[in-house]
Amino acid sequence: MLNKSLIEDVLQAALSTGGDFSEVFVEDRYTNNMTYRTGKLEKSLSGRDFGVGIRVFKGLKSVYAYTNDFSKEGLIKAAKQAAQAISSASSEKTTILPLEKEIVHNLHPIELMPNSVDKARKLAVLRKANDIVLNYDPQIAQAIIGLIDDEQNVLIANSEGKFVEDKRVHSRLTITAVASKGMDMQTGFYGPGAQSGFEFIENLDLNHYAKEAARIAVTMLNADPAPSGKFPVIIDNEFGGVIFHEACGHGLEAAAVAKGNSVFANKVGEKVASELVTYIDDGTLKNEWGSINIDDEGEVARKNVLIENGILKGYMIDKFNGRRMGEGPTGSSRRQSYRFAPTSRMTNTYIAPGKSTPEEIIANTEYGIYAKYMGGGQVNPATGDYNFAINEAYLVKNGKIDKPLRGATLIGNGAKTIQLIDMVGNNLGHGAGMCGASSGSIPVNVGQPMVRVSEITVGGREA
Amino acid sequence: MELTKFRDQLFAEGEKLGFTELELYYEKQESFGCDIFKGEIDNFESSSVSGVSVRGLYNGKMGYAYTEKLDEESIEFLLKSAKENAGLIEDDPEELFSGDAEYKKANFYSPSLEEVTAEQKIALLKEIEEKIYAYDPRVVQTNYATLQNFSAETAIYNNKGLSLTDRNNFLYVLFSVVVKEGDEIKSGMTIKVTKDFASLNADEIAKEAVEKALSYLGGKTYPNKTYPVILKNEAAASLITVFSSSFSADAVQKGQSRLKGKLGEKIASDLVTFIDDPFLPEGIRSSTFDSEGVPTEKLTVVDKGQLQTYFYNMKTAKKDGVKSNGHGTKYSYKGTIGVAPSNFFIEPKDKSFDELVASIEEGVIVTGLSGLHSGANPISGDFSVAATGYFIKDGKIEGATNYMTIAGNFFELLLDVVEVGSDLEFSTQGIGSPSLKVKGLTVTID
Repeated sequence: MLNKSLIEDVLQAALSTGGDFSEVFVEDRYTNNMTYRTGKLEKSLSGRDFGVGIRVFKGLKSVYAYTNDFSKEGLIKAAKQAAQAISSASSEKTTILPLEKEIVHNLHPIELMPNSVDKARKLAVLRKANDIVLNYDPQIAQAIIGLIDDEQNVLIANSEGKFVEDKRVHSRLTITAVASKGMDMQTGFYGPGAQSGFEFIENLDLNHYAKEAARIAVTMLNADPAPSGKFPVIIDNEFGGVIFHEACGHGLEAAAVAKGNSVFANKVGEKVASELVTYIDDGTLKNEWGSINIDDEGEVARKNVLIENGILKGYMIDKFNGRRMGEGPTGSSRRQSYRFAPTSRMTNTYIAPGKSTPEEIIANTEYGIYAKYMGGGQVNPATGDYNFAINEAYLVKNGKIDKPLRGATLIGNGAKTIQLIDMVGNNLGHGAGMCGASSGSIPVNVGQPMVRVSEITVGGREA
Repeated sequence: MELTKFRDQLFAEGEKLGFTELELYYEKQESFGCDIFKGEIDNFESSSVSGVSVRGLYNGKMGYAYTEKLDEESIEFLLKSAKENAGLIEDDPEELFSGDAEYKKANFYSPSLEEVTAEQKIALLKEIEEKIYAYDPRVVQTNYATLQNFSAETAIYNNKGLSLTDRNNFLYVLFSVVVKEGDEIKSGMTIKVTKDFASLNADEIAKEAVEKALSYLGGKTYPNKTYPVILKNEAAASLITVFSSSFSADAVQKGQSRLKGKLGEKIASDLVTFIDDPFLPEGIRSSTFDSEGVPTEKLTVVDKGQLQTYFYNMKTAKKDGVKSNGHGTKYSYKGTIGVAPSNFFIEPKDKSFDELVASIEEGVIVTGLSGLHSGANPISGDFSVAATGYFIKDGKIEGATNYMTIAGNFFELLLDVVEVGSDLEFSTQGIGSPSLKVKGLTVTID
């Protein structure tokens, strides 16, 4: 994408004021974005993003500049602008090491590159999903189907001699069903995604995903208000893992740990969760939505065990925060695009499967709440306090799933909730999502088998 | 590749491919941002990013595509993608502007702002920060000590003869100060937006930020009820920002505006006149043409309470059988054409803020609002949001209130305005208001 000697010049220019590390990130990305709303293709956008991000460190100071002026003058100017902020009195000068190309081992085979597929073929999938949703039930009022795919080519080089290139391909279908009755309106959502080409979209079992989205909307339209109070809560697999992603995963990122802004800081070796919990971040899972070959600093993806049988084993660490912590990187540094400096983030994070069957977990619960699909929520990163909406909830009574409930919110503290997990199922599943933080919005998987938490506060309308 | 060469080649190849109309939209943005904390640079970022998008009419349908790289490969990509997108799209048709219009001559770019060096900007931040710590022993630290500088260049060309270029730039400084007395912790924020770096006065900014934070200490609780309320200029502007989409013809046509069918009717108090002025010299959204190349114009949107017009782009104007009034907007070359105001504000009147306060026997001043994204419904106008402010007793500010919630409806509030102040202030989104005195709002004080 850019030639080696130009990159070497840029890396060296970035160190001209005394920086001790410099990095260049080049991105060339093709994106397609289609939205089909209730029988009409409303939006079809295609784009090519191209730009270069330059990062300079000096000790614990980090500076970032980005540009898409890829001429030599433009890049050197950007590198010098970044260097301006470092300005050190010392005459010591870091010289970059010669760049040596590394070969990336591709873990995620792609069959159909998104840009090689006719959009008419993509439209056919959108129409099919639309029809399944609209025909599901007379109470369905709207179907909104989205298709997003992109091909991101990256080149990462740094002053330590790293030079590596990779291609990442993502495809995702989002299905939103809206059901209405009088003034009342409820939505159902399913959004499967993968680090894959169009083959993933075309092979999706739409009968399952589109029907589920429609079924959730209709079920919630006809649900009773949820009760308030403290209950045992059963959270099902796949996207159910979003609670632990937000309330625990972010606290295990070096971005929070390095400055001590996390409840998990300085606790390696200590018991931080129920012994039933093993929590893993694994960027190597084949073709999964949150997977990578290399991270955005060029580190090879790996499987990081964060918590093992309740004991804290380690964190997700990027190069910069690793300096403060005195630890090496873990293949966890990610960014949305060249417009963001990277930091430690999750890839595919999940609770490892346990021994209970889902049937046993429900049969063992006398009175509680079953969260079949989770919705969005908020977490205060410093304290771990969270609140999450449940998209599809049920009452559990005498070991059986009872009536559906709407308007249920889970309120609690991540570090406490993870201690209270008392059953872990054997049905591990992953769900695709977008995670937003200081380095932008990136694809991640959240995952878990069905788990039961002995007690969570449920906020509902009924006292 | 040079922009003009890229354009000429794109248009020539596009016409050969069968496009009847073609537009190239170009945007270049440069930014500089810096945060400091206790005398050290905490964050430093600079950027220079540009991109182009093509809109092309193919078989009567408009196709879009964009790129950030100007090369041969991109020309092929843009034309192929736009053609394919046009062939599939099923939305209402769009068309391109002819380009034979007259444009006002104006300049919204301040060359002197670009001559200010990074060192000068950092020095100013450090100076303000030092003065903040020195101002009062109750200052604990700053939450934010930020300077951001933006400049943007836009150009629109089409194969019907349109050729337009425009530049704008501005800089802002933002400080949020944390103060502590006993166990009580409060913060106050101040923001200055300008095109003239020399106009920034470190003493003034430090004083304003610290005094604001200090003024919230010792907050008291008061009975919950409906009080006359003064929405201070900044708070009023942030509330108007949320509901400004109601004035868009797009929202009206989609049935997502309470102003539908209200043209010529009274929608606000006689004291309220809303102006949209794209020619304000200091305006951060000032421009002589919109994102479709249509000339902009100064509009009286609401005249003494009476709704005069909506904001139109070409597509919504055609639907209503009127002419676009220059409000076609793209958030960047990555977006499609929507509708938005330029510099949109309530016209100031004569009374000073102190005079407004003096006119109230018992009431509340709201200085800031938070939670507007979740607590306000932009369609119905209902809002219930957290607020900071003071209590007024016998025409004087008695002191800070504890955290408040204010609830009401924006459209009812417009009718309930009983005084309009003289202190017009704009938000960083280009929406402005003087302080407004409102008959009554439900206030809950924690």
